[in-house]
Amino acid sequence: MKKENDQLNPSASAFASKAGDRAPSSESGLMTRPSALTGIRVLDLTSSSTQYCAKLFVDLGADVTLVEPPGGSHARRVGPFLNEVPHAEGSLSFAYHNAGKKSVVLDLQTSEAREVFRQLVKEVDLVIESTKPGTMEKWGLGFEALRAINPDIVLTSITPFGQTGPYAHYESEDIVALALGGLLYLGGYPDAAPTAAWGEQAHLAAAQFAAVASMMALLQAEDDRGGCHVDVSTQEAVVLALENAVQFFDLEGTVRKRHAGMQRQAGMGVFPCSDGQVYFMAGGVASNKFWTGSVQWLIDEGAPGAAQLNEPRWLDAKFLATPEAKRIFASVFEPFALRKTKAQLYAEGQARRLPICPVSTPADLLDNRQLAWRGYFVPMLHTWSGRTLLIPGAPYQLSASPWKQAGPSPRVGEHTAQVLSQIGITDKALEALLHEGAIQ
Amino acid sequence: MKTKNVSTTEEKTAALPLAGVRIVDFTWIGAGSFTTKLLADFGADVIKIESQERLDTLRDAAPFKDGIRGVNRSGYFADRNTSKRSITVNMKDPKGQDLVRRLIRKSDVIANNFTPGTMEKFGLGYDAVKDIRPDIVYLSMSMQGSAGPEYKYLGYGMTIGALTGFQYLCGAPDREPAGTGTNYPDHVPNPCHGAFAVLAALRHRRRTGEGQYIDMAQTEPTIALLGPAVLEWTANRRVTQRRANQHLPSSPHGVYPCKGTDRWIAIAVTCDAAWDSLVTVIGRPEWALDPALSSATVRFERAAEIDRQLSGSTAAFDAEQLMEMLQAQGVAAGVVRDVAGVVNLDPQLHHRGHWLTMNHAEMGPSVYNAPAFRMSDVAAGPRSPAPLLGEHNTLVLSEILGMTGDEVEALERAGVLR
Repeated sequence: MKKENDQLNPSASAFASKAGDRAPSSESGLMTRPSALTGIRVLDLTSSSTQYCAKLFVDLGADVTLVEPPGGSHARRVGPFLNEVPHAEGSLSFAYHNAGKKSVVLDLQTSEAREVFRQLVKEVDLVIESTKPGTMEKWGLGFEALRAINPDIVLTSITPFGQTGPYAHYESEDIVALALGGLLYLGGYPDAAPTAAWGEQAHLAAAQFAAVASMMALLQAEDDRGGCHVDVSTQEAVVLALENAVQFFDLEGTVRKRHAGMQRQAGMGVFPCSDGQVYFMAGGVASNKFWTGSVQWLIDEGAPGAAQLNEPRWLDAKFLATPEAKRIFASVFEPFALRKTKAQLYAEGQARRLPICPVSTPADLLDNRQLAWRGYFVPMLHTWSGRTLLIPGAPYQLSASPWKQAGPSPRVGEHTAQVLSQIGITDKALEALLHEGAIQ
Repeated sequence: MKTKNVSTTEEKTAALPLAGVRIVDFTWIGAGSFTTKLLADFGADVIKIESQERLDTLRDAAPFKDGIRGVNRSGYFADRNTSKRSITVNMKDPKGQDLVRRLIRKSDVIANNFTPGTMEKFGLGYDAVKDIRPDIVYLSMSMQGSAGPEYKYLGYGMTIGALTGFQYLCGAPDREPAGTGTNYPDHVPNPCHGAFAVLAALRHRRRTGEGQYIDMAQTEPTIALLGPAVLEWTANRRVTQRRANQHLPSSPHGVYPCKGTDRWIAIAVTCDAAWDSLVTVIGRPEWALDPALSSATVRFERAAEIDRQLSGSTAAFDAEQLMEMLQAQGVAAGVVRDVAGVVNLDPQLHHRGHWLTMNHAEMGPSVYNAPAFRMSDVAAGPRSPAPLLGEHNTLVLSEILGMTGDEVEALERAGVLR
């Protein structure tokens, strides 16, 4: 056997630790853990497509500044609202997605503001935007223009369909992207119109893929390999959520349909209980690994008719797919489940190692003891109301460079003067820009 | 032969963003495999550790090429495992564990989505791996996290959708919660968050020399995407309810029938000009000419009535034609495409080159997804089709551990590689 090269992964030069970059231990201190994205500066031309992308950056320590139009981003006008009172300062959606960011108001319709933007671009690493294709170029802020100012800039453009192509200029909303991406067709009940995923999931899917791509581009840029234009298609992000539908079509020629409101196979699906619903997979995914245990649970609990589920035909996938099997299973399981709460069924089923869980409401999440144990929900100050509100916290726990709950979301233009001063714009110039309406 | 293969791999990956990153990949099934695929497609050398004894269940999941079951024939597995290399290691054999430890020493990242405790059984818990490779980035993506009162509970993509509140929020208000009809958390939230966390940790390592342990519970990214619903409860004590397709305070906003069976169009009118254009395109039916409907607030108040009436009007149109007519007038509208439409009919996805055909060693030419983004100056997406089970035993062990073909064969005969 040849001797192994003792060097650790010698091919990984670009990603190997760079001792020269290492923070001196005296400086980093022991009390505060460093953040993974410290030093990365981001401009977020905020919208419902960009804000979650930039949130992933700010929560790991990047410095993120919203660039908003006069009056503030439209994202500030998206509900739900605090105390159910529609008000631009009360958007809970905005507060959640923009906590910890700064806000600068630039009217990019004006050449003065565009010049300020160009100066900002010299100082940042990543610009995330979602304007219609051609808009940034029209403003003289396209990728080539930005790269001329800052050769390492990463420009991430999130649009419904991408920068070019026959639909590039189509109008879109979240539901349109869900439709053309094929996910909408899979949602809902067979006897009614397809129903869309809740909560702008097309925009959020695009934002998530945009974050991954932006991070890869930044790693390249930090390795002196130059800047990059990342062109994200919301439609394509939705297509990636089609599970195995594309492969079933390609390999077997079948078109997957929607199936809500019924068991996918006998024993698998949503079932009512005393205070809501549970999701149960009595047999498991494709096999009948859990079937015997599930039936034993029902027998032990004295569910009438449970014993028949032990007949050999229940181990046959073809039988489980029949309406008869689904009807019989429901006739046994539902009366049993309706005597119990979702929490009881979850605890008792899991104690028997069966795949069952509550169909949680948002309120249930706050009572979930596993999430509580992990400290998942964290307080966020809502400056305008002075209230402290619980929000979802770390989506991942990084041991050395942890997720951090940053400060509150900014007021419109809260940091305009501060940020512009930092890039050398004088007080006199600020006054003139404000007077012209180029900034706010 | 060996040298040639190695240099080809290097040429293809040299310009990619993650060239030089090596990942020892224990992920399987849906969410985990897609996480490392995102990194493999952009240059990371992802070595999938598999075993004949304990197959990735996705290898045995339909659809299969020609409907014939086989470990190298699953389309679902193939799409989730592009650009990776596969080796088969018997992890019950101490010699197999030793091989993996030697690979870890030459790697940057190790990833798994097992139930907590499984990696420890292999002797590959974080502390043990850190002893082998101190600056390793260690990604664990179990269902509910690495510890806590319910961390060992059983679940799958569908139960994660239910447990996180996502299922509850999707569907019609007066019917059973519908979800998305898929294991949504497996396909977007968990792969994207997992990949982002690994990339951030690689940056941290580059700057500080420090590796780390990433504990990602597969419930938590999905809940992070439901922030507004969580806040509606924590701030207002109101439980967000399902609302079918009425997602914006504007009307019409929804899904409307078109000519044919199960054909639909999504339409979202968010300004008065779009309403006027819609009315014109559908032929100015009498119900739509009510002057009160020129007001957005009135339309929203009368949304149910508008949905009913508009459904009657759209039913006379072909979905594709109606979309084109509406878009020509600046109205946001899209055909509710089924998978056949997505693959065959969508000119935009075609323009983007979204559908790739790659020649899989056993399945032959088959369709793969491109990523959701393009990067300037970077070759996009999958570099090679999914690996056959154990396809790269010899290549990986010779290239990385310097073993000879005879040595690899001996290990295969001894049941260490299987």
